Amino acid sequence: MLSVSNLSISFDESQVLEGFNLSVESGDIFALLGDSGSGKSSALRFIAGLENAMNGSVVLDGADLSLNGVHSVKPELREIGMVFQDYALFPHMTVFQNISFGIDHLSKKSKTEKVASLLELISLKGIEKKYPHQLSGGEQQRVSLARALANSPKLLLLDEPFSSLDKSHRDELVKDVRSILKKQSVTSILVTHDEAEAKAFADKIGKIEKKQLFIN
Amino acid sequence: MKEILIKSNIWVGALALAIALPIFVVGSAWLLPGTDLWSHFAQTLLPELVSSTLILLIGVGIGVSVLGTVLAYLVVMVDFPGRAWLEWALFLPFAIPAYVLAFVYLGVFDYSGYVQVWLREYLGIPGFDIRSGHWAIILTFVLVFYPYVYMMARASFKRQKIQMIEAGKMLGAKPLRVFWRISVPLARPAIAAGLLVTLMETLADFGVVSLFNYSTFTTAIYSAWGDFRSIEVAAQLASLLVVVSFFLIYFERKARGKAKYYSSDVSNIKAYYAKGLTGWLIFLFVFGVFMLSFAMPLLQILIWSVEVFTLEWSDRYFDYFASSGILTISATALIVVIATILALPSRRKSESKTLQLLIRFSTLGYALPGSVMAVGLLYGVQNISLISIYFAGSSINHILFGSVALLLFAYVSRFMAIAYNSTSASSEQIKPVYGQSAKLLGASRLRLIQKVYLPMMMPGILAGGLLVAVDVMKELPATYLLRPFGWDTLAIRVFELSSEGLYERAAIPALIMVVFGAIIMLIFNKLDSEKY
Ligand SMILES: Nc1ncnc2c1ncn2[C@@H]1O[C@H](COP(=O)(O)OP(=O)(O)OP(=O)(O)O)[C@@H](O)[C@H]1O
Ligand SMILES: [Mg+2]
Repeated sequence: MLSVSNLSISFDESQVLEGFNLSVESGDIFALLGDSGSGKSSALRFIAGLENAMNGSVVLDGADLSLNGVHSVKPELREIGMVFQDYALFPHMTVFQNISFGIDHLSKKSKTEKVASLLELISLKGIEKKYPHQLSGGEQQRVSLARALANSPKLLLLDEPFSSLDKSHRDELVKDVRSILKKQSVTSILVTHDEAEAKAFADKIGKIEKKQLFIN
Repeated sequence: MKEILIKSNIWVGALALAIALPIFVVGSAWLLPGTDLWSHFAQTLLPELVSSTLILLIGVGIGVSVLGTVLAYLVVMVDFPGRAWLEWALFLPFAIPAYVLAFVYLGVFDYSGYVQVWLREYLGIPGFDIRSGHWAIILTFVLVFYPYVYMMARASFKRQKIQMIEAGKMLGAKPLRVFWRISVPLARPAIAAGLLVTLMETLADFGVVSLFNYSTFTTAIYSAWGDFRSIEVAAQLASLLVVVSFFLIYFERKARGKAKYYSSDVSNIKAYYAKGLTGWLIFLFVFGVFMLSFAMPLLQILIWSVEVFTLEWSDRYFDYFASSGILTISATALIVVIATILALPSRRKSESKTLQLLIRFSTLGYALPGSVMAVGLLYGVQNISLISIYFAGSSINHILFGSVALLLFAYVSRFMAIAYNSTSASSEQIKPVYGQSAKLLGASRLRLIQKVYLPMMMPGILAGGLLVAVDVMKELPATYLLRPFGWDTLAIRVFELSSEGLYERAAIPALIMVVFGAIIMLIFNKLDSEKY
């Protein structure tokens, strides 16, 4: 279970979030809606430990990750996965190297098995040797999801992962990714502009308005 | 996390400060009382120095920008006959030291050279002095230094998405308009970086300007020091050079602007196909530049070398070769490692203004003539030595003077800019999300650097290392002043012979250097084309 409490973020004097609270039950998928510039990405990045805030605490499965605006656990030790809007696949690594990046400490054999099973999960078998630039946008997005899932994160953050795909692909992928996440029962937060997408993807929906979160 | 960053920032700052040391020593010359000599210099020579240096910088700047950019664009975006081999052949002039190209051109075009003799005998055209005026020297510099702009612009054009060019075409833009409105603006930071290196090299050059009897800041510094024996005036003039470099760097930063053009995709699709006559005309142009800047000078030193081989060759050449090799390899390794540390993207966001300034200072040595760098170091060492006598009762002169370490220090100070420009350009291409996603995947700082940053920076690191290696091998004045006994290099030999007017014999060590340099370029090309 994730709980974010009393989060306040400001940039150059302008307050973006003030007293933002959010909690997500284990295994639930939560969708975060809000206008452009309302602070969705900032909230996500604070939860990941990538952004600083004036105030705010994060507790994940009973562990304090951030307390009163101070990150007590580094991003690399939080066991939080993130899927970025433009995928951020490492361009100099193959699909195999990308997906196994977070599990490099495993033996060669278990890495190979893990990557194969993840590729099966995202229905992209046999593309281990390809480079990101040889994949379509939707394929890159799936690989980026597989990479984030490889070391079984406790929480998965998705920042507008579908926004650069066309509508027909998007509806399909939204369904697929939801079923993948449900199968693995990963606690997830999806940031999106699109209300229909939020409804199709999430168990619960909240919207940022006036610097705070309102649950529908 | 924070503390580690702050701690590492302090180390990096100290490192940058140490590299910038010779600059501060040179700058401290202003603290000395003013001399009559300085006012003499300031009143009589300074105005002319400033104007001739300025003309040189402007001429060379325009020349290399146009030539380097046009060549890079043709080679990357247009398919024409011979494109593939010309693309790397255009790098080869890097292997020719500027002073070698200058003495070859003088040898060929001077009053007693083939060209003028032929013109006089067959066409009755009276002799002329190619040293007078600005054109000949500007052209020489453009032919030696265009590869800096070519190299940076080429890398940048290669990263431009073909879709952008195609979008321009779909909007009805003709090739020239696409070039001006899309490709050049996107490549502007790269062109500016190449131009900066060129102008710094031009400012620091001594060999070419003295062969052409052209007076610049550098020749004035030599004259202040050599003719008037005033290390203070030399240092004061040199510090003016540092100020000029600072302005150049400032303008380069401005030219880069706020925009950061992240993109890591490299496509090999050509935007234009030049067929028939147009293709061959383009070939002729590019080939012509290659001939003038590399093939013909090489042929000339080859001919001279054969003519005087038995006279000049001896076993000592193995020693020259070994000295050049050892110094080049160790200096390059040192410089590349430091430049990479200074440019790593993990620090970029956290670093303070002071640190950025220190790093900028550490790259200023590029505009200091090698000899001034050497004098600055010797001057500094002398003071350190005085301190050591005061505190420890013994001089450490004998450890520092004439040691390889001091020479390596000079190389690091002098050539940091080249490696840093190249490593930082590649590090700026790395989007922050890569670091962030690696961290979220549990990567430690070390692993992030090893697995993500270094491989992504590798093209820049290699390119920087290559340029530095060739430059260290060619370096003359600092090596001459600081080399330990018995460490004569090939460049020293070229200098010894050509300063006595023995150009034909100087062709032999020059030829070895050019071949050596050409091999480095080939290795680079192999590495460069393997990935991405
Ligand atoms: N690093 C930063 N420096 C300054 N201001 C920032 C920074 N990051 C975000 N902001 C500002 O904070 C506000 C919230 O940004 P954020 O990216 O969180 O919005 P968002 O809800 O994700 O918007 P979008 O839907 O467009 O992605 C914006 O006004 C933005 O300009
Ligand atoms: Mg956002």
